[in-house]
This record gives sequence, C-alpha cells and structure tokens, in this order.
Amino acid sequence: MRKVNLLAGYVCAAVLGGCAATPFDVAGTAAPLELRSVQTRAYEHLDKTLTMRAVIATLQDFGFTIDQADTALGIVTGTRAHSHDMRMTVTVVQKTADEVSVRASARVGQKSITEAATYQDFFAALDKGIFLVRNNVN
Amino acid sequence: MNKRLWQPARRTLVLATFSALTVSGCALQSQAPSLRLSESALDIRAMQTRTFTARSEAEILAATIAALQDMEYNIDQIEAPLGVITASKVADADSTNEKVGRILLDLLCGCGMSQRASDRHAITITTVVLPSLSGNGDFVTRITIQQVTFSKQSQALSRGTIDDPRAYQSIFDKLAKALYIEVNNNA
Repeated sequence: MRKVNLLAGYVCAAVLGGCAATPFDVAGTAAPLELRSVQTRAYEHLDKTLTMRAVIATLQDFGFTIDQADTALGIVTGTRAHSHDMRMTVTVVQKTADEVSVRASARVGQKSITEAATYQDFFAALDKGIFLVRNNVN
Repeated sequence: MNKRLWQPARRTLVLATFSALTVSGCALQSQAPSLRLSESALDIRAMQTRTFTARSEAEILAATIAALQDMEYNIDQIEAPLGVITASKVADADSTNEKVGRILLDLLCGCGMSQRASDRHAITITTVVLPSLSGNGDFVTRITIQQVTFSKQSQALSRGTIDDPRAYQSIFDKLAKALYIEVNNNA
C-alpha cells in the first residue's frame, strides 16, 4: 500500500513539476528568418507617415479596430473580432530617405500565423491602399 | 481472437482514425484567416467615411473626442499625428422580448436557454481623422466598429464587425453636431 502511495506521489510530482518547468511557447516555434522574410516588404518612393496612413486604412478595410498606434516608433496594432479574434502588429521603418520597410505579424486566437499566403494577401491589399494614397484618394 | 473477424474491424478503425484526422485537419485549415479584400471593400470604405470641413486638425479631433464622450465611450488610445482615436464601452444588451422568449422556452423544455440570453455588448470604435489627400483643406473621417456580445455567464455569444450603415450614419450625425458646437464655442 505504501509503495502504491509512493508511486502515486512520484507521478503527481512529475506531472506538476513538468507543468511548472515547461516554458510553454514563450519563445515561439517558427523559424525567425523565414518568418521575417514572409512578413516583410519594402516600398520605394514612400515616407513613413504616408505608409502608416495606408497601413491603418488597410487594417480598417479588413474590419480591424486600432489598439495602438505610434508614429515615432512606426507601430500599429489592431484587433479584428471574429469567432477567433485576430490581432495584427505592423511596423513601418524608414530605411533610407526614399524607402520604407513594412513588417506585419498576426495571431489568431492562440495560434501565430506563419502561412506565407496570408501575408501575401495582406500585402496585396496594402499595395492597393498605397496606390490609393499615392493617387490622393482618401 | 478470430483473425478474419478482427481484420475488417481493424480496417474500419484505421479508416475512422484517418477520416477523423483528415476532417480535423480540414477544420484547422478552415480556421486559417482570410486576409483577402471582398469585392465590396470600396463600398464598405465609402460607408465608413465622411468628409467634414473644419478650421484645423485640432478642432476636428476635439469634436470627435467630444462626440465619442456624448455617445458614452471611454477613450482608450489617441495618436494625434495619425489622427487615430480608439474608444470603447460596455452597453446593456438585455432585451425584454429575448428574455421572455427564452424563459418560455425554459418552461417548455427546461434546457437552460435563459442562461444564454445576451447580457452586454462590448463595443470598440476606431476613428481616423486626417486632412484630405485632395488638399482642399477638408478632413476625412473613417470609422470602424466591432462588437462582442456576452451572456450573463460572461460567455461570448457573438463577435464581429458592425456593418449596418445606420450605425455609421448615426455616429456621423453626432459628429457633425459636435463639430458645429466646437466651431461655435470657439468662434
């Protein structure tokens, strides 16, 4: 009987200890460089403010509301309420006087979006938003 | 165990497991989010957008904040250089008709329908106010609104973007009034 109790104790300790020690997905699982390349696109002949304007309009096109926007840091974060909420962060960096880099990252519910196709769709929409901004269409 | 009897049973089990995996794979696949613009994206953009005349960006931003306060929102985030204002509120969603209907259903079937009655809406609104790109001195305001409806047990019953044109029209009407007050108060 004592042996059984001891064994049960070991099992409980192992299970609970395992839970406490596992740093569950704190550092993500995707390959950082590959992920970065699918999430990033460069645009020429654009400045940061105009690009951020197009980014916000594009997020609104998808039905996002804006949680956070910071011109100085070039960051926009939005949320789209859905059966699984989608949260997206877009960063805009002025690379040179004439070139900006845009990086978008998204999560749906508890999952990170790593599919290149989703980001291609986002940038296809952003291209249209940038076209409208460049042609002075609000 | 009779091997002949076991084999079809095992095959069925394997097929069922494979089907379950395939179906669950499909379910996960279908959860992959769509970021494709619908054909009506430009129409929706037009519904969410109005042009206003104001003397300065500060004036229209102040009027927008006042209008949001008039509509009982709290301001969560402002980024003036980008004209972004995000505000939210929790509104009562208790509908007497819905409640009575669900209580009657409970009486008939005892299936706890009244527990799933809508209790409150969490509404988030983002307005973006920027000088018109056409350079005529006007300001363009665009609004997006989202709503999550919770039950009395704080369970989310529905969530999504509000796309009823009347909701946007009533907000733009309030904004026009707030802008009128702002202009005349500072005249």
